[in-house]
Amino acid sequence: MDLTTLVGQSVVNGLVVGLLYLLMAVGFTLVFGVMRVVNFAHSEFYMLGAFVAYYCVTQLDLPFLSSVAITFVLALAFGWMVEWLILKPFRHDELNGMIATIGLAMILQNLALMAFGPDPLSMPSVVQGVVHLGFTVVPASRLYVVAFSIAVLALLYVFLRYTRTGRALRAVVQDVEIAAAQGICAQLIYPLGFGIGVGLAAVAGALMAPLFSVSPFIGAGPLLKAFIVVILGGLGSIPGAALASLLLGISESLAGTFLSTGAADILVFAFLIVMLVVRPSGLLARPEQ
Amino acid sequence: MNGATLWAGNLDSVRRRIAYLALIAICAAPFFLANAFYVHLAVLICLNVAIVGGLALICRTGQLPLGHGAFIGLGAYAAVTATMRAHWPFWLGAVGGTLFAALLAALLGWVILRLRGVYFVLVTFAFAELVRLVMLDWPSLTGGANGIAGIPPAALFGFEFDTKVRFYALALVLAVTVIVFLHVFFTTPTGHAVDAVAENPALAEASGLSVHRIQLLAFSIGSGIAGLGGALYAHYVGFVSPESFNTALSVAMIVMLVIGGRQSVWGPVIGALVLTPLPELFRGAVQTQHVFYGAALILILRFLPGGLASLLARRSVDRASY
Repeated sequence: MDLTTLVGQSVVNGLVVGLLYLLMAVGFTLVFGVMRVVNFAHSEFYMLGAFVAYYCVTQLDLPFLSSVAITFVLALAFGWMVEWLILKPFRHDELNGMIATIGLAMILQNLALMAFGPDPLSMPSVVQGVVHLGFTVVPASRLYVVAFSIAVLALLYVFLRYTRTGRALRAVVQDVEIAAAQGICAQLIYPLGFGIGVGLAAVAGALMAPLFSVSPFIGAGPLLKAFIVVILGGLGSIPGAALASLLLGISESLAGTFLSTGAADILVFAFLIVMLVVRPSGLLARPEQ
Repeated sequence: MNGATLWAGNLDSVRRRIAYLALIAICAAPFFLANAFYVHLAVLICLNVAIVGGLALICRTGQLPLGHGAFIGLGAYAAVTATMRAHWPFWLGAVGGTLFAALLAALLGWVILRLRGVYFVLVTFAFAELVRLVMLDWPSLTGGANGIAGIPPAALFGFEFDTKVRFYALALVLAVTVIVFLHVFFTTPTGHAVDAVAENPALAEASGLSVHRIQLLAFSIGSGIAGLGGALYAHYVGFVSPESFNTALSVAMIVMLVIGGRQSVWGPVIGALVLTPLPELFRGAVQTQHVFYGAALILILRFLPGGLASLLARRSVDRASY
């Protein structure tokens, strides 16, 4: 295999994982924006999403597209309920809210462990075959996932940008009190924001389920990457997150090909620390006033 | 009314005396226990008291690190490397492990403590994961996933702490030292500065306190204590592996701290005392145990944010307000 093919292949693989990181990071940053809480249970919603998609496809014989849609709706409803029942007292309480989501993550992961067992399950791929893109070869199932991720992100963009509810959500992210003064019902926006955020994590889980295995422990890795993306891109900045996650995915993939995976992780962390020293507000952010 | 107050005051001091006697009795009990398993639990409780005490110090500045387990591991690995490869005596290795953990915390803290609190959480979490990966990926030094076995027992001045009861004495000294240190620390001006920083960082800064410097100090000392606890743990168990110091350990320490109580020096003691033996109740049902931990965490945060220790404190506050 010559060098161009190798590099091209790594870049394409990196883009696929980068999109996964992006879905995770966008949901995470949305929840933080609305509630000011670091959501440690984000990984468990990713895991639950993967399980829902797995059961929809293998037990109910539903097509993949509707499985992903069902996953999102269920995660939104479940997230709404969790926010309302458990996290309501911890809104805008950074420290206690974070500890509460650690508790929530422990509960969800261990309930899943009791219900589904620790063994990884594998889900059939969505489509078979490969696609030739220029000088690289990509499995069609990966392209499928890429298309889905981009579609989900585009839908989110349209929702946040052009709908009344989306605008209300962004207003609450910027300033709750002013938003409330403008007649936005913040009491509904909190659970909605949390629900959409964890819904995105669940969709990421559902999309990745056919590519990787499904088990109660799969959430930890993507959560860590979402943290790194959020730090690099600047908390709350969606364009920053997009750039950071694609960069992270591609550089990990390249470093994993040419160096060892461990070396890749160390390089990423070193880069992260340098970024925090040089540009603490993120890749694309303007400096804070 | 005066009489009642006096009576209440007397009763309080009698109660307090009884509480101290009970505590001394609990501390002394393992020396007379025949059952080795209970002594083992007592050792673990003492190590946890010390480590959670270090975490409490950091938490009192208003920052909660999510990678405390990594510093326990760094201390353990540094101490083990020093004693087994460089053939340092145990105490020097333990001091080395402590300083190593504190130094790394200081370097990391210098960068991330200048940022908003949430970045501190995210970076400490990522750092802990990185430490675990490096330990796994560097087998020539750390033994990789196999870990390091056959660590010699602790020895001081020719006296070997090679039985459980002997080691318990060492662990007890550590736990008591850490708690007394915290108690004294919070009566010093620096200790008050820590509380001031947690209460209102902007006001503290405006009053001439350096929030960054105080948080950095607390983070370094707390992580150093974690490193010392890790060094002792390694020499007690005789085996370390990267998986001994994963996220679950960091989370377990936070659970102990929050359930015990974050605002009182007694919090780490109560948290470790209550939660260390708990896995024995759930033997064979680890998942149930963790669901219980999670639920307890949320309920404590919601209804008793000061933790179990605040039940003690509330008593005396109630009385003082009469």
